[in-house]
Amino acid sequence: MARPARSLMPWLDVLAIAAWGFLLLKYWLTGKLYLLIHPNYTWLTVVTGIALLLLATWRAIGILKQPDNFVSQASSHLALLPRGWGSTLLLAMAILGLLITPRAFASQTAIQRGVADAPTLTRVKPQAFRGSANSEDKSIIDWVRTLTVYPEPDAYTGQKAKVQGFVIHPTNMPDQYLLISRFVITCCAADVYPVSLPVKLSQNRNTYKPDTWLEIEGQMITETLAGKRQLAIAASSIQPIPEPKNPYDY
Amino acid sequence: MDWTQLNSAFTLFLSLLVEAVPFLLLGVLFSGLLQFFVDERKLVRLMPRNAFLGALAGSCMGFLFPVCECGNVPVARRLIMQGVPSSVAIGFLLAAPTINPIVFWATWTAFRDQPEMVFLRIGCSLIIATTIGWVFSAQKDLRPFLQPAVARAMPSKKGTRNGGQASQATSDTPALLQSGTYFLGQSEQRVDPMDFQAAAIAAAGKPTGYKLNLMLEGMVQEFRELGGVLVFGSAIAAMLQVFVPREAILALGQGPISSILAMMLLAAVVSICSTVDSFFALAFSSTFTTGSLLAFLVFGPMIDLKGIGLLLSIFKPRAVFYLIALAAQMTFLFAFVVNLYFS
Repeated sequence: MARPARSLMPWLDVLAIAAWGFLLLKYWLTGKLYLLIHPNYTWLTVVTGIALLLLATWRAIGILKQPDNFVSQASSHLALLPRGWGSTLLLAMAILGLLITPRAFASQTAIQRGVADAPTLTRVKPQAFRGSANSEDKSIIDWVRTLTVYPEPDAYTGQKAKVQGFVIHPTNMPDQYLLISRFVITCCAADVYPVSLPVKLSQNRNTYKPDTWLEIEGQMITETLAGKRQLAIAASSIQPIPEPKNPYDY
Repeated sequence: MDWTQLNSAFTLFLSLLVEAVPFLLLGVLFSGLLQFFVDERKLVRLMPRNAFLGALAGSCMGFLFPVCECGNVPVARRLIMQGVPSSVAIGFLLAAPTINPIVFWATWTAFRDQPEMVFLRIGCSLIIATTIGWVFSAQKDLRPFLQPAVARAMPSKKGTRNGGQASQATSDTPALLQSGTYFLGQSEQRVDPMDFQAAAIAAAGKPTGYKLNLMLEGMVQEFRELGGVLVFGSAIAAMLQVFVPREAILALGQGPISSILAMMLLAAVVSICSTVDSFFALAFSSTFTTGSLLAFLVFGPMIDLKGIGLLLSIFKPRAVFYLIALAAQMTFLFAFVVNLYFS
C-alpha cells in the first residue's frame, strides 16, 4: 500500500520503546515508582529504562542510515497481533501512563482485600521484624506482627501508641470506631495487602473521612469488636497529615 | 464502576507492566544472545535423543536461562524455531520459570521457615514439566500445534538435527532485508534448511558488531510483539483483581480440595512473576493449606492469564489447552497428596 505509511512503521517501534524508557525513568524520578513496586526492584526499573532508551536510539540511528532495510523489516511479522499493533498498544499504554498519575490504593481497595478481617491477619515475615524499645515507635505493621506472634491483646494494654495511616470506616464496627491502615507491599501493587488497627474515638467517626491520612496517638486497650476481643487504640490526639510520598510499608 | 476503582485498576495494570517489562527485556535479551552467540546446533546436538531424558534436560535448562514466565516464552519459541526436539522445548517452557537460581533463591527467602516448600516446588515443577514434555514427544512433528509463522520458521524435518543458527538472517547481504523477507507470513514459500545452514555459516564468520546489530534488531521485534500481548494479559489480570471481589475467590474454600482449586485460580488470575510469587504466596501461608500454596507456586509460573497470551504466540489454541489441562491436573494431584499426607 502507500509507501509513506509503511515507512512510518519502523518509527512506531522507536517511539514505543523510547516511550517506555521515558515512562520508567519518569516514575523513578518523580517518586511514583513507590506506588507501583517494592523499592528492591527500583534498580531493575532504572536499568531497564536506560536500556530501552539506548535500544530506541540505536534503532533510530539504524533507520536513518539504512531506511530501506527497515521499511522492509517493518512489514514482516511473526504475528499473533496484526501488523503494527504491538507497538501501537505499547505506545498507547506508555502515553496513558505519562498522562494519568497512578494513585496509592485507598480504603475501597483495602476493604476489597479483606481489611475487615484484619484482627485475624497472620501474614508475617519474621525476618523483617523491627525491634523497638518504645511502643510509640511501632508502626501499624509492627503492631500487627507483634500481635501475630503473641496474640493476647491484654499483654499490650496501657502501652503508648503513635501510628500513621489512612482511615477506613468498617461497616461491622460501631460509629465510634475507625480503622487506621497501611498497605504492605512485597513486590508490586498486585500483591499489596492491608494491615490495620481499630481506633476508638471520643466522637462519631464521620469527622474523619475515609482515605484521609492521620497520625494517631493514644493508649492500647482491649475491646470486643465484631464479636472478637482485640487490641485497639484509645485515641488521645488525632492529627491530619499529608499523604506520604511512599504510602506503603514493608 | 467509579473513578477510584478505575484508577486502582490502572495503577495495578501499570504496576504489573512496570514489574514485567524488565523481565521481558531480559527474556528477549537472552533469546537474542542464544540466537547469535550460542551455537544452537551444538546445544541441539547435546540434547539427549531419548524423549524422556530430553524433557528432563529441557526442564533443567532453566538454570542456564534464569528467566521468569515473561521471558521463557521468547526463549522457548527461539528453541522451537531452531529445531530443538519438542520434549526439550516443552520441558523448558514449563520448567524454566521455576527451575532457575533466581526463583530458587526467592522461594528460599520467603519460606525460610518452611524449607520443604522450596524442594516441593522445585521437585513438583520438574516432574510435571518433564512428564508433559515427554507426553508431547509422542507428537513427532510439532508443526500442527504451532502458529503458522513459528511452524514456517522451523527447519524442515531432515534439517532438524542441523537446525539453522540464525533464523532471521538468511543470507549474507543485506541481512536485515533478508530477515524481513523471511518472516513475511503472506508468502507460502517454505524456507530451505540449506538457507539456515548458509545463514549460520555467514553469521558465524561475521564480526561481533554485525551479530550484535542483528541481535538488537531481533530484540526490537520480539519486544514489540510480546509487549503487545503482555499489555492485554496485564489489563485482564488487573481488571479481574479490581472488579471481582477477592473474597469471591478466597471464599471458595479452606478444604483440602477447594483450597487447591482456589489457589490455582488465584495463581492464574494474579499473573505474578515467578521470581516474586513466593512472597505473594507467603501472604496466604497461614490461611491456606500447604498443598494449595504449593499448587499456587507450581501452577502459576506454568500457566497464567498473562502467560496464556504469550503461549498463543507459539502454539495454536488447541495445544495451549492441552498444556493447561495437563499442568492443572498434575498440579492438583501433587497438591492433593501433600494436603492429605504431608500437612
